[in-house]
Order: sequence, then structure tokens, then C-alpha cells
Amino acid sequence: MTAVDLFMRLAQTHKPDCHMSLDGPPPETVPDPEEMARTLGSDVVGRYAAACRPVYEDLRRVIGQVSGLLILARLTSRTEIADLNEMQLCRARWREAAERLATLEAPTGLSQHKVQLTSAHHFSGEAMNAFAGLRSGVDNSTELDRMGIQIKRAYAHLEAASSSKAGLQMVDFTHACCSCAQQN
Amino acid sequence: MADYSIWVCEYSYVAKYHKSGVLYGAHNQGYVKLPYCYVVIKGRDHVAMVDVGYNDKAYGKVLGDRFGVENWRDPKVVLAEVGVAPDDVDTCFISHAHFDHFGNVEDFPKAKFYIQEREISKWVWAMSLPDRMRWMMVAVDPGDIVRGVGLAAEKRLVTVNGAMEDVLPGIDLHAAPDSHTWGSMWVTVRNDGQKQSQDTWVLAGDLVYQFSNISNSGAVVDVDTMYTPVGLAVGSQTNLILATEEMMSQVGYEARRVIPIHEEGLRDAFPSRITKDGLRVTEICLADGEKSMVA
Repeated sequence: MTAVDLFMRLAQTHKPDCHMSLDGPPPETVPDPEEMARTLGSDVVGRYAAACRPVYEDLRRVIGQVSGLLILARLTSRTEIADLNEMQLCRARWREAAERLATLEAPTGLSQHKVQLTSAHHFSGEAMNAFAGLRSGVDNSTELDRMGIQIKRAYAHLEAASSSKAGLQMVDFTHACCSCAQQN
Repeated sequence: MADYSIWVCEYSYVAKYHKSGVLYGAHNQGYVKLPYCYVVIKGRDHVAMVDVGYNDKAYGKVLGDRFGVENWRDPKVVLAEVGVAPDDVDTCFISHAHFDHFGNVEDFPKAKFYIQEREISKWVWAMSLPDRMRWMMVAVDPGDIVRGVGLAAEKRLVTVNGAMEDVLPGIDLHAAPDSHTWGSMWVTVRNDGQKQSQDTWVLAGDLVYQFSNISNSGAVVDVDTMYTPVGLAVGSQTNLILATEEMMSQVGYEARRVIPIHEEGLRDAFPSRITKDGLRVTEICLADGEKSMVA
């Protein structure tokens, strides 16, 4: 993660509770696979997009789960969350995503897309691993605040890597109230 | 005497929605218009909402391009039609966590949000399931749960376990577990403030999409009408029917007092008007001294 002067960053741009105050490449919209297909050719991009999908799905799930568990931790002040079965499954999925990311080869022009996925993985892992550090009988607000910022940042990176036509999208609309008159 | 005014405000719509999504089993019966709405409840020094819609920045292009969702308008524009602003809203009841109901919390910076705790906990569980069971997590955006983290940190998220009476004076929440979603709920307004109210309104969320879910033809079983559940249930259609019965019993079986929010036919049951943006405002009832917003 790139180090940026903390004083300047906080003074000029972001409040401490802003997810942009965390170090690392910023979450920013990058050329998505659909866009790149026009310049790189659809085969090479199509292969990349297909390889991205399971990583994206893993991260989408990890971010959702960690967020839900964070709400639970905040509202109940309970710290055993790290021991829940859901958390173990979440860790397993995060590790799977790490393995997939390690073998994901981004074609030239899509390296920034992979950076967004890697950053989403990094920040979701930071938040997830921090559950183990919560202590019973004390006020964990500071830790929970930090985890909240990390998961928000992870989501921002994954959102930046989203591409509807490449099948990388946050919401599965196929059975939603709008899932009719599908155009394509 | 009426404590609250209630308006159903359309903020977008799908022009052609397959009827089998609205009505369980109505296959090959064509399409109906499906308005997207939220409900504004104003009175007793409160402005409350049932659901908050979705944020077009996040979903608009996909919904427009792929699913034919049209004419989304910002809550500032929609709520102005009934004389309130998003900043005036102090309470939001989230009927369930689907993106088109829970997808725009950021536009209501002063509101406290109520949602069933089961809606969150079961969704976290569903997210942990293998990919082959992915169907059980449709239509929920992890981003909405991420934003829920922020609300919880600000002490603006209240998770409810089952029913909750007098959340605001005369307004109750009721759970319908494992129905449309894991932790759906409906909102009951006892508009005369009495425990045994003679003026009850039920705001049904997605437990009822349209009036036909309450009064569908019962010819097939030789009765005049019967309940027929909505097409989508991650829980069960049985639980939808049981919830419908409970909602109906609360309003003394007067079907027009159970308010569906995906119902174009509200215009036939209540006064309404079309705004300059082509969206409908329906006036369900008026508090004492409140002026009509549809006259």
C-alpha cells in the first residue's frame, strides 16, 4: 500500500472517519473489462472477466458478511463473533479469494482493475481479522469504528471494479421486483 | 380524529412487469405496471417513512438498461410533492433489505432506521452458503449492509426482534419471518391512537404487492376471492398467506386498509394525482388539520 503523508491527507481532504483516510491506492473507477474489450479484443478480456467473476463473488460475500457481523458486534457488544461458524466460513472464502487473486493475470490495460480487486481483498481482510482483537468487558468502539472504515473502503474498491456486462455486479437482480422485460 | 397523514409516493416504475412475479402461479398471463413507491407518514410531530427506495447513482443504469425501470426521481423531488424534505424525516421503517426498499439511507441523514434483526442475521448466514445456493441472496446489495454499519455506529440503526408496539405513538411494527424475505415486517398505524383502533392502516411492504394478493379470484376452489401470495418468497408462500391473514384481521378485513406499494390500482381506491414528473402521489388519509396534497 502506498504511504501518503497523514497530516496532509487529513488536513486537506478527509476526516479521520472517512474511508479515504486509509493508506493505499484510491478506489476509483477504472476501465472495466467491457470497455477494454474494444481495444484489447474480446477473447483476452473475456478470459480475464471470467477469471474475475469468482474473485468478485467471494469479495462481495466477504464484505456483506463482515458488515453484517459488524452490525451484530456493535449492537450487542458481544465479542464471540470471531468464533461463529459464519466467521469461519467467511475466512475460508477470503483465503479462497487470495488464492484466486494470486493466479489472476490481468492483461495490459486492466492492471488497475486488478488493483481494485486486490485492495478490496486487503481491506476486507483487515476488517475481518480485527474481530479476533475485540475484547469482552471493555469498550471496543474505537476498534469497531476502524473496522467500519475498512469495510467501507473495501466496498468502494469492489464497486470501482464492478461491470454489469462483465458479470461483476453487486446485486443479483434476477428475481428482484424489477426482473422483467430484460433487455439483453 | 386522525393523528397521521399517510401518502404513498411513487419514485420510479417498471412499465411491464411479468404478472407471475406479482401473483403466485399467474404464468403466461402477461404484464402489469409495477410502481416503485415509499410511504410518508406525517403527524404527532414526526415525519416517518416506510422504506427509502434505491439510489439511482448506484443502480440506475443497470436497472434502466437491463430491466426497463423508468423515471427514477430523487427523494427531494418526490417528497416535496407532499410538502416535506428528506431532512425532515426522523424515522424510517425498513420493511425488508431488498435494494429498492433499503438502498438509499444516505438521503435521510437525520432519520433513525428500524429493521428486523432477522433480516440482517439470516442474510449474513445466506451469504455464507455455497454458490449452488446463491438464489437465497437475490436482490440485496452488500453496500446497503455496509451503510448499515455506519448507521449502527451513529446509533441510528435499531434492530427489532418481532413485534414492537408504539415505536411512534400509535405506530406498531409486526414481523413476518421467512416470508418474502427472512425478516420482512409491516407497519400498522392506529390512527385514532386507541389500542382497539377503529381507524387502522397497514403498510404492507412487499408482503402484498397489489390488491390482487388479497382479493384474487377463488373460482378454482369455488369461493369468491382468496389470498394469493406474491411470486417471490425466500421463505414460503404459506408464511405470506399467514401474514396476510394477520394484516387483514388488524383492519377488520377491510381490504382497502392494507396498503400495497407496488399497486397502480391505488388510484381507484384513494384520491391521487400525477406530478409534473409523471409519478403518482396517493393520499391514503389526512391528519386533523392537514391539507390535501392531491386536491
